[in-house]
Amino acid sequence: MTWTKIATTDQLEDDDEVLPVSVAQAQLALYRSNGEFFVSDNVCTHAYALLSDGFLEDGCIECPLHQARFDIRTGRALCAPATSDIRVYPVKVDNGDILVDLDS
Amino acid sequence: METPSSIVIAGAGQAGAVAAATLRELGYAGALTLVGQEPHPPYERPPLSKAVLQDEAAAASTAVHPESFYRARDVQLITGAPVRALDPDARALRLADGRTLHYDRCLLATGGQARELPGLPRGTAGVHYIRTLDDAAALRRALRPGAAVVVVGGGFLGLEVASTARALNAHVTLLEAAPRLLERALPEAFSHWLAARVRQAGVTLRLDCRVRSIEPGAPARITLEDGAELQADVLVVAIGLVPSVELARTAGLAIDAATGGIRVDSACRSSDPHVYAAGDCASQHRAELDACLRLESWQNANEQARAAAAGMLGLPRPAAAYPWFWTDQYGCNVQILGMPQPGLAYACRGQADPADEAPRFVWIGQRDGVPVHGIAVNAGGDLRQLRVLFERGLPIDPLRFADAAEPLKPLVKACQAAAAGA
Repeated sequence: MTWTKIATTDQLEDDDEVLPVSVAQAQLALYRSNGEFFVSDNVCTHAYALLSDGFLEDGCIECPLHQARFDIRTGRALCAPATSDIRVYPVKVDNGDILVDLDS
Repeated sequence: METPSSIVIAGAGQAGAVAAATLRELGYAGALTLVGQEPHPPYERPPLSKAVLQDEAAAASTAVHPESFYRARDVQLITGAPVRALDPDARALRLADGRTLHYDRCLLATGGQARELPGLPRGTAGVHYIRTLDDAAALRRALRPGAAVVVVGGGFLGLEVASTARALNAHVTLLEAAPRLLERALPEAFSHWLAARVRQAGVTLRLDCRVRSIEPGAPARITLEDGAELQADVLVVAIGLVPSVELARTAGLAIDAATGGIRVDSACRSSDPHVYAAGDCASQHRAELDACLRLESWQNANEQARAAAAGMLGLPRPAAAYPWFWTDQYGCNVQILGMPQPGLAYACRGQADPADEAPRFVWIGQRDGVPVHGIAVNAGGDLRQLRVLFERGLPIDPLRFADAAEPLKPLVKACQAAAAGA
């Protein structure tokens, strides 16, 4: 496991905020939901759009382009037009730093 | 109502495929058959005027469900099999190949066909109608850089095809009979914006332009009402959809004279209690508008499919979604929430310069401060933030909305809080 710091907790002050993060050639979306942090790939599995421009509610991110929704905990594609899940990554918070395991 | 023991869905498009999935999600365990006339398993039609025209490989990614879905969910999928007749007394569908499918409940999800120009039937050499994957594949093969492409019809489909053809470096002329683009769906100012965007992309757009005659051939010769003549290496006709209701009509089901669709109630049930209809072919009474609407949209196909699935099982209808539509054209993802109504006041947030590489703005049309019609260009996320105001009928100050310096999310939350405290 390799933990990579991608952000600090103060960058997402409120629930249901999403932040785009680029790290090591990966485009990630960092979510805050009910005080917890989650990370997925940022590009929708259906068409080219950034989920960080989308709408986060009840632990689901909705793509801004065609309203596909994904569970930010599991990456599961929840509705059409997406048929493929999105990749999610383990996250941990250490002393205000948000760390992601990109290898898992 | 007792659970049906067999359900047959006629029409293997978006609505049919989603209805099949929903029936299983709702716990229906009986026999389920999905029969379609095309050779392909159900696929999404929105990409036909976009990715599928640009990229041969894109056709493979249009499937509504993964290939494994039908076996895994025990859905008998019959492709390449047109239905010849619906026999409501025998509760049976007669297929063209001689087979008979009996049903307890039947869903008609038969969609529609491209409207044809008089004298130019489908199959005329050099003339393209776009409804099916095969139609789109044929047009893709014909679209070459430098080709003279004439698109008849400036609706959503014609606009998207013209956009894609232009992106492939064809010389594109788009002919629209109305004095402005999309006049039933958009306010006049937005039509003008879109026309400027289309022209900026290098498409020759002719509005208020009627075709007098077309002589097919290579090239096709098109004579306009004003006497002008055009030549087309590729002629695309995109003048609308004719709903496929012959099965229903012949079986004696009620057809809505105004919309041409199969008349259904809020549960998508037709005038025959064992037969339902969903998608492009269905005309549904909308209480909020006190009118019957036949909507040709991806969202409507999905939503009515879910409503019909619930209805066939005697379950309550899922909550209706606010009407939503998208189109991708000329570098713009355009999303439309709600329907235009007379007398709305429009406010714009963001920069609406048609010459921008990626313009980004939202217009909302308000009645007494409440947004009821929204148009977002490359700003679907913003429109999504606003949707709660549409759904709950909450007002927003148009001046604060139009101030792009004010963050939208807190503003929407403030509108909700104000309504809760009022």
